[in-house]
Amino acid sequence: MSESPEIAPPPAPPYPEAKLEPKPEVAGEAASLDGTKKKKRKPVEIAVRLVKVTKKFGAKVAVDDVSFTVKMGSVYGLIGPNGAGKTTTFSMLAGFLQPTMGQVEVLGHAPTQVDELRSRLGVLPQDALLPAQDKVGEFLRHAARLQNIPPDKVDAEVRDVLAEVDGKEWYDLRCGSLSHGMAKRVALAQALLGDPDVVLLDEPTAGLDPKVAYEVRQLIKGRKKRCTMIVSSHNLQELEEVCDAAAILDRGRVVASGTISELTAASEEVHFKLGRPPAGVAATGYRDGSGLPLAAIRELPIVKRVEFDEERREIVCYFDRGAPDPRGGAIDAESVIEAVLWVLLNHRIRIAGVTKGRGLEQRVMELT
Amino acid sequence: MNPLAEISLVVQRELRKNLRSVKGIILTALSIFGGTGTALLAVQAFHREFANVSAEEIRIGQQELFTKVYKDPVMGSYMSTAPLSLVFMLELTIWLAPLLIALSSFDAISGDIQHRTVRYWTVRTRRVSYYAGKFFGVWATVSTIVLAMDLCMWIAAIVKGEPAGATLSWGIRFWLVTLPISAVWCAIATLVGSLFRTPILSLLVTLAAFFAIWLFGFAIARGAEVAWLTYVYPNRYDVMLLSPRVENVGGGLGICLGAAAALTAAGVALFQRRDI
Repeated sequence: MSESPEIAPPPAPPYPEAKLEPKPEVAGEAASLDGTKKKKRKPVEIAVRLVKVTKKFGAKVAVDDVSFTVKMGSVYGLIGPNGAGKTTTFSMLAGFLQPTMGQVEVLGHAPTQVDELRSRLGVLPQDALLPAQDKVGEFLRHAARLQNIPPDKVDAEVRDVLAEVDGKEWYDLRCGSLSHGMAKRVALAQALLGDPDVVLLDEPTAGLDPKVAYEVRQLIKGRKKRCTMIVSSHNLQELEEVCDAAAILDRGRVVASGTISELTAASEEVHFKLGRPPAGVAATGYRDGSGLPLAAIRELPIVKRVEFDEERREIVCYFDRGAPDPRGGAIDAESVIEAVLWVLLNHRIRIAGVTKGRGLEQRVMELT
Repeated sequence: MNPLAEISLVVQRELRKNLRSVKGIILTALSIFGGTGTALLAVQAFHREFANVSAEEIRIGQQELFTKVYKDPVMGSYMSTAPLSLVFMLELTIWLAPLLIALSSFDAISGDIQHRTVRYWTVRTRRVSYYAGKFFGVWATVSTIVLAMDLCMWIAAIVKGEPAGATLSWGIRFWLVTLPISAVWCAIATLVGSLFRTPILSLLVTLAAFFAIWLFGFAIARGAEVAWLTYVYPNRYDVMLLSPRVENVGGGLGICLGAAAALTAAGVALFQRRDI
């Protein structure tokens, strides 16, 4: 398979084309939980900004000169293998760790400016245990009080957020008696308390069974557009599913960043996964592309280049998005899929699947 | 939300947690039953010993005793009317409070850091409020337990025939004397505890620090050339705090609360800079 074009690392903003609207209350006044108006704040377009941030633990450099920007209203992923610096970056965003160098801003403030960020920043830390002796309701009530939610609204707010994580029956359970999945959802509930503008989620589905993980993903999707979310995760399919954009980290550095579409080259290439070859071709198994109509595909005017990935048994078609399509309109992934499928089916090639781009997982594997 | 409101919320939580946890209940029970029991036994022995001695003779004896103990005739005269059972309780409290403080506070911050529970709080409260809340929380817990011990002792003293007015008057005064002294011990314990991620290590180092301070102030320095070291020992300020002279009480209060404030400020400065 050919080399993909490199995506330039920051400092360029990762996804300038994202056009998500900020929450109304961020742009001006908003009704708070007690019906009073929150203090006026300047409109904020950038939720999170890291500028040349480095974090060292002794001689070890955990995060090295990382810069990226996250716009309001988007869901942004932090991706990378173990030790890539995801959690360290996340911890600096949450104010748990102080950067050795560089600048971290959340909603225009340093993460340690708690009063400015009160109830505007929610954090789900990856491995922070809930206080075992506390009841769930008691823990969340204390968190809500510290967020300055009025005392008469605290209980309703706590019960609402527990219901959102499907845990309204847990109010009187001790945190120490919760299963891993329940504890994770209670931790998620505390991050969502007070409807914050920015929510940081570190491995939100780690260790959860598939059903609960699915529910958490749905919850994150449900919160989309209501707030900005930064999700750190190993689960690339999950990130591809929920994120608008992401930064890929490796050994403490950002190796690529951009919209998910940019990262996966979804707007530049289409992958046709071939099914098991018919009996006549089985002996060669499409070796070196034999038995495949690659020449016919190359002749298609909307296809710029064609490759056959023997290992993955995929035909990869590259195209120039937006270039004029001789049949009318502009070339896009769908028009390429239509034309190439026509050729493949006419040659009785069995198709197992079609994907736009190469998938986040493949992209990460290439970069890290 | 201002820092005082944050501190108030943290203190309320600490009080609830400390007095409701298994550790808190055991410590409270041990303190009340152990402390009060020991004091009562001592009082009983005293009453047996001096059963046939008149009240005036006891007063004179007390005056001589306290003049000798405090090396001050004014103090001797002042303390001569204090119920001896309460004086014994005060000394016992001051003596044992550091142990109670060490056991109450060793995991207040280190436990939160070890399990990273602290991360749920520092996104909602200033670190200075969190730290100060922990300090005031331990202080409030210990003061509450000491008050409970004292209450038991006051009731026992009144039942044994001590005048209720004198018992309550001296009792409250003695309890107030324990507050600034325990504030210093609490500040030391909170500072030491905040430096470690492992509660057991925090406990051991706190106990070691307390023992070193005790050695400085009580054993090594007494009568030696390094007598100035006794000023490090918080319990030595009980004399100033008990004194009938306002300037002495003010001085004792200033030193104890100043030391507690300085230690807490140092702890806050370190805690604000550290990674959690």
